[in-house]
Amino acid sequence: MIRFLASLTFRAAVVLSGAALATFALLWHAPGDPALAIAMARYDALATTDVIAIVRAEAGLDVGFWPAFLAWVGPLLVGDFGQSSVTGHDVLPEVMTALSYTMPLALAGLLIGLAISLPLAIIATRRPRGWLDRFAVAIASIGAAIPAYWLGLLLILLFAVHLGWLPAMGARTSAHIVLPALTLGLGVAASLTRILRSGILEARDQPFLPAFTRRGVAAGGIERDHVAPHAAIPVITVFGLELAFLLEGAVMVEVIFARPGLGSFLVNAIEARDFPKVQAVVVLAAILFVTVNLLIDLLYRTLDPRIGERDA
Amino acid sequence: MLNVDGISVRGGTRLRLQDVSFTLARGQTLAVVGESGAGKSTLIDAILGLVPCHSGHVTWDAAPVRDCRPALVMQEPRSAFNPRMSLRRSVMEPLVAKRITPDQQHLDQLCHGLEIPPDLLDRRPSEVSIGQAQRVGILRALIAAPPLVLFDEPLSALDAVTQKHSARLIAQMQRAQGFAALIVTHDLGYAAAFADHIAVLRAGRVEELSTAPAFVDAPASAYGRRLRDAAFALGALEHVA
Amino acid sequence: MTIHATGLSVVRSGHTILHPTDVEIRPGTRVGLVGASGSGKSTLGHALIDILRAQGQSVSHVPQSPDEALDPLRSMAFHWREAERALNMAPNPARQETLFTALRIEGGDVRKRPWGWSRGMQQRFVIAMALIGTPDLLVMDEPTSALDPVVAADTMDLLDTYLADRATALLLVTHDLGLAARRVTRLMVMEAGQVVEDAPTTQLLSAPETVAARSLCAHRNWLELPC
Repeated sequence: MIRFLASLTFRAAVVLSGAALATFALLWHAPGDPALAIAMARYDALATTDVIAIVRAEAGLDVGFWPAFLAWVGPLLVGDFGQSSVTGHDVLPEVMTALSYTMPLALAGLLIGLAISLPLAIIATRRPRGWLDRFAVAIASIGAAIPAYWLGLLLILLFAVHLGWLPAMGARTSAHIVLPALTLGLGVAASLTRILRSGILEARDQPFLPAFTRRGVAAGGIERDHVAPHAAIPVITVFGLELAFLLEGAVMVEVIFARPGLGSFLVNAIEARDFPKVQAVVVLAAILFVTVNLLIDLLYRTLDPRIGERDA
Repeated sequence: MLNVDGISVRGGTRLRLQDVSFTLARGQTLAVVGESGAGKSTLIDAILGLVPCHSGHVTWDAAPVRDCRPALVMQEPRSAFNPRMSLRRSVMEPLVAKRITPDQQHLDQLCHGLEIPPDLLDRRPSEVSIGQAQRVGILRALIAAPPLVLFDEPLSALDAVTQKHSARLIAQMQRAQGFAALIVTHDLGYAAAFADHIAVLRAGRVEELSTAPAFVDAPASAYGRRLRDAAFALGALEHVA
Repeated sequence: MTIHATGLSVVRSGHTILHPTDVEIRPGTRVGLVGASGSGKSTLGHALIDILRAQGQSVSHVPQSPDEALDPLRSMAFHWREAERALNMAPNPARQETLFTALRIEGGDVRKRPWGWSRGMQQRFVIAMALIGTPDLLVMDEPTSALDPVVAADTMDLLDTYLADRATALLLVTHDLGLAARRVTRLMVMEAGQVVEDAPTTQLLSAPETVAARSLCAHRNWLELPC
């Protein structure tokens, strides 16, 4: 177990430093002059050559790649994400504000996805290859093929424009979250249904199940105690991937619905070449990923202790 | 002649094989028996050079075993073939690999000896019975006339009647072709009836190496005795004169 | 109670794989159901279990390998408790201990999952579990083929001893007449989905009447094969 935790920590460290380095390198080598962009953003027409040079020095852009990288990573290690190169404010509180809009959206999307896909998968697998199953698979395939921006517009047309039931743009009231969450949740439901369906079918196909029936164990008990845990394992495995889909989807949906949050924060930061902000978002996303996958690994081991045995 | 000379094979922290030695001449049959995990499969891998020996060495006529192009017959007859290919293509593969033109007469002779009807080879693995698939597996092993054939539990997927039928065909082919046969099996009845020598493997060591009749009469090791008694209790050995 | 099942038959996708068959097994007897692979012996075994269960008779089943009997994610204790519940029985440590002693699994840690036990112990646990309700009939499917011979022989001996003075009848389903001949007093020979011969072991071995029985008898022993 100690070896396992050590290897997890090591893996997390590798992923995080890789993410930090890659982001920094990409932004550093991106075309265009960041100092110019910042100067334009701050002083507009007053951005003379001298001003740009001062901005360059201030933002630490004049020292070369590695010193600049180290100057950023050093404080990062103690939780200091630096200051916006445009406004000079601390980056972290601003990112947190953006997150406070995005997290509820992502969670609501996930819950809607689960609420749709779980019953759908259970009903579909009652009779594999029956018409309900085919219908569910078809719906899931179509759902996975529909891009979020198209689905989002469709929902806006129906519920906001035609029926007028729900607000479409912004985030002023709690009702504003419904349409974006639905857009996100339908996409999540499409992919989760397929995963859940194949997980349940595979779990039902295990060689030892007939023996439990012959032993007189009730069908409900077999489903609960022997099918569900086996079906959960592949589902949990893909949950880490699902998180990527959720975050990416949330950013996209926020832009469609003009919702404040990580999406607009990131787009604005990139346009203004506000590197510290972009880097902060990427690093936070990487931390989130590593944490969730770590939790999944631990959960996985509780569910199926054979995995720990094999490693040992 | 196959010469296994004091080989040890490491697997993780423990030894999978420990100082295993024996020889096996052309035309002779050695049965290796023992419980699962005793190192029977590792022994086959070591002879084929698929795992490195940490000490000792394996040779065929004083050259590396690889040079004599030994053949292997596996336990699961159907899964040993590519399901999309006709059996004929699978059988011919070792010849194609060695750039040998197939000798139709040799093939006919082998098919006749293994009781494989000529048209059977044009089917796919899923279209033949397990017993037939196993005989085609033996055909594939023998097609390039190897001097050494390794059998890994060749009969355990077959039923009692088919087992004995296949065992007899293997023995007949051996008399005709003169190869050395090393048979890994857990069936002491088979070993006693068809092998010249029986090696008992336990926890990676050779517990004893006896001639088959001597082993059935009076095993030299305590574990050998337990194996023999179990074979009696399960009806695998009976009516021994 | 005498086991009595009539008109067992199985048709799968248009093919009759088990022709109408009646089976009668008296209490405490040992019966072997033998035949080549594909003869329908397992089908008959399973059909028998299902119909007896539907009739409310007490019958239990031991599959070929413990992998086909135990859920790798559940502890041995869970399996045991579940089997008791399936029989509507309250937990009874004394009964468990008796069965564990009889099948020599006393040392097993029931909090572990199946893969924490040796395969021989797993198989004996499955047998013990099958005996919880003192069934009228115990059906065993190829009980030795998934185990090492020494372990398999020990297991069969322990079961023999346990059943010796009990009313539970044993139906041994196997392709191996040599094994069955050692363990049962009556043999049923199957071929092409039918029971073609049904006789006491000694009689069947000395004077097999049908082709299938003669073939099985001729190939019973490794050292005395027909030419």
